[in-house]
Amino acid sequence: MTGIRSPGILGFVAPVLQIDDLCRRFGERIALDHLSFEVSAGQVVGFLGPNGAGKTTTMRAIFDLTDLDSGTITWSGTAVGQAQRRRFGYMPEERGLYPSMLVGEQLQYLGKLHGLSARDASNAMNTWLERLGLADRVNSKVESLSHGNQQRVQLAAALLHGPELLILDEPLAGLDPAGIDVIGEVLAEQARAGCCVLFSSHQLDQVEDLCESVVIIDHGHLVVAGKVDDLATSGPRRLVVRIEGQRSASWLDGVAGVEISEVRGGDARLVLDPTVDSNAILELARSTGRVTKFVFERRRLSELFREAVA
Amino acid sequence: MKFIVPALVLIVLAARLWRRHRGAARTPRAKSDRLRGDVALVMAREVRERFRGRVFKVTTLFVLIVVAAAIIIPVLRGGKTKVQTIGIVGSSTPSLQATVRSSAATVGLTVRLVPEPSVNAAKVELGSGRIYAAIVYTRAVLMESSLSPTDVSSSAQFVRSLAENLGIAKAFQAAKLSTAQYETITHARALPITSVEPGAGKSGGRSPTQATSVIGTVLIFVMLSQYNTWILMGVMEEKSSRVIEVLLSAVRPIQLLTGKVLGIGVVALAQASLIVAFALALSKAVGSSLLHGSAPLVVVSTLVWLVLGYAFYCWVYAAAGSMIERQDQVQSLVLPLSLPMIFGYIMALTGASSGSPSMLLKVLAFLPPTAPFTMPVLVGFGVVTWWAFLISAAISVLCTVGVARLAATVYRRAILRTGSRVRLREVFH
Repeated sequence: MTGIRSPGILGFVAPVLQIDDLCRRFGERIALDHLSFEVSAGQVVGFLGPNGAGKTTTMRAIFDLTDLDSGTITWSGTAVGQAQRRRFGYMPEERGLYPSMLVGEQLQYLGKLHGLSARDASNAMNTWLERLGLADRVNSKVESLSHGNQQRVQLAAALLHGPELLILDEPLAGLDPAGIDVIGEVLAEQARAGCCVLFSSHQLDQVEDLCESVVIIDHGHLVVAGKVDDLATSGPRRLVVRIEGQRSASWLDGVAGVEISEVRGGDARLVLDPTVDSNAILELARSTGRVTKFVFERRRLSELFREAVA
Repeated sequence: MKFIVPALVLIVLAARLWRRHRGAARTPRAKSDRLRGDVALVMAREVRERFRGRVFKVTTLFVLIVVAAAIIIPVLRGGKTKVQTIGIVGSSTPSLQATVRSSAATVGLTVRLVPEPSVNAAKVELGSGRIYAAIVYTRAVLMESSLSPTDVSSSAQFVRSLAENLGIAKAFQAAKLSTAQYETITHARALPITSVEPGAGKSGGRSPTQATSVIGTVLIFVMLSQYNTWILMGVMEEKSSRVIEVLLSAVRPIQLLTGKVLGIGVVALAQASLIVAFALALSKAVGSSLLHGSAPLVVVSTLVWLVLGYAFYCWVYAAAGSMIERQDQVQSLVLPLSLPMIFGYIMALTGASSGSPSMLLKVLAFLPPTAPFTMPVLVGFGVVTWWAFLISAAISVLCTVGVARLAATVYRRAILRTGSRVRLREVFH
């Protein structure tokens, strides 16, 4: 099983969400195909994949919102049941709140359903509405809020009871940059506080900024999982070279083990075989002209994603 | 004094042991408490939201106005009873006065009796219209003009009834009956019929008890239609707004469904109780005959069948609500679902109007979908024994258990299927 685990500190083992061999078929379409991965608490994990890859089905399966043909889901070694789910927070892809219910009452109701006392639910509601900039909307009906604010209320509903595991399906969709920043901060805070945060998104640049780790699935099965830094620096070296006056990469003609992936604005992006000596490339560049840029580049998450699901 | 310290120590030890024992047994109980707590939370939200809603307030007010009208209007009409003046030539004995007044009462008239010194004087009074009829020495009834056989006015019916009763009284006298025998015969009463509602009205005419049962049937139909619609729309709203996913991430489908059904049930019972209490108080205040005699039994039976009817139908409508998520899908589902209710309602009203319960009505009173409407009408007729009533209720409860299980399965499988309307065969596929 591929996993993303945080190292234990002084014998403390962080809770782990373990997805093991999930299969789900809708008629002829296979949504989950022996999907397995695990993520541990204390980190923000991006759950990526193209449309129809099985992300939402996996998230719904964690909350028993879809039947599984086979497979198991455990939290810290225990099969996920009603008692565990009550300690999880969930923000579904299609936002769902009672439209005509007051924001404050709705949050308190959802908090109590997750096991909070009336007083704790009220305190948590006030805290989160304040934190998300909605303190003045406590007595507003949900339907009277803007899309972005409804999204914030939905996030508050998922966070109210201090969940151990936070599952967010496309939490950044439709948000302005300020909204994305707020949610990013909140997710990072939650992870620092020991929560396991798993969220899906198609906004890969934001995911790269927010996440320590990613899980990429396609056609219902795992493609890649690991820490973003490790994945970005893994694989062949990527080199960007700029030579004054050179608009092409013809100076590399005939050099073995070097693939020219892109030439744009004078920057030549090269992919080097492990056998290629980068100093030899530097010497060749200097003999061609004045070298103004010579940088090894990380792979962007978007490149990683495209490679993974290609 | 020396026993106090050891006794206190013993009490403290016993208390600690008891608390420890409670703590050990708490785990499973805590779980079941939690489940019940979730149902109570869902129920409380439903009650709060429904009581707060404008629909509840408007409907309650509307029904109260209709009930008030149904009670007050007959009383007001009864208060305007026509008074007829009857002249009496000869001695006006108490028995004669009683016969005249009872004849008038049967057709809803009030009479004023005036003595006439002679037949001629009575004729003059008849001619002037000051008296409507005159009784001449208890041998004849004199009128200004002869009664037409087609005249069915209350005055005409009164004169016919008076003539008949005076004839009977004369026959009793001719038979030389003693006063005691005469009293015995004139005070003869029909034998009581043993039933759930003893002493109900005779067939052939609508007694106040039957009128009460008709009002009860109408109320059951109106209220069940309203509560069923609440259930259907409430479930559909949770599905269409997608809040269902958030809710089901914390509670089980059966808890959510039970909480909703109980919550709306509490509102229904509260509304029905308010209406009945209002009707009872108003009837007493204005002296209505609608709740006299055995009519309170009909009221109780109406309340019982409102609860049983709600219990039966609420699950069906909840399951139906879980299969749809748009307003335009509601109509296509509501009509077939409401057909049994409409059928039972029409049969109940038709049966009540016909004056005698048909065999079909009696059969329908034992079928759970139609019993809430037809059984109160049978109770109004006084033709239901207590054990038949209980058997019908037991059949309804048993069927409700089966329907609830089926509905819970449909709800659990359909509530998370979005998109087009879910078909039953997809649910059980």
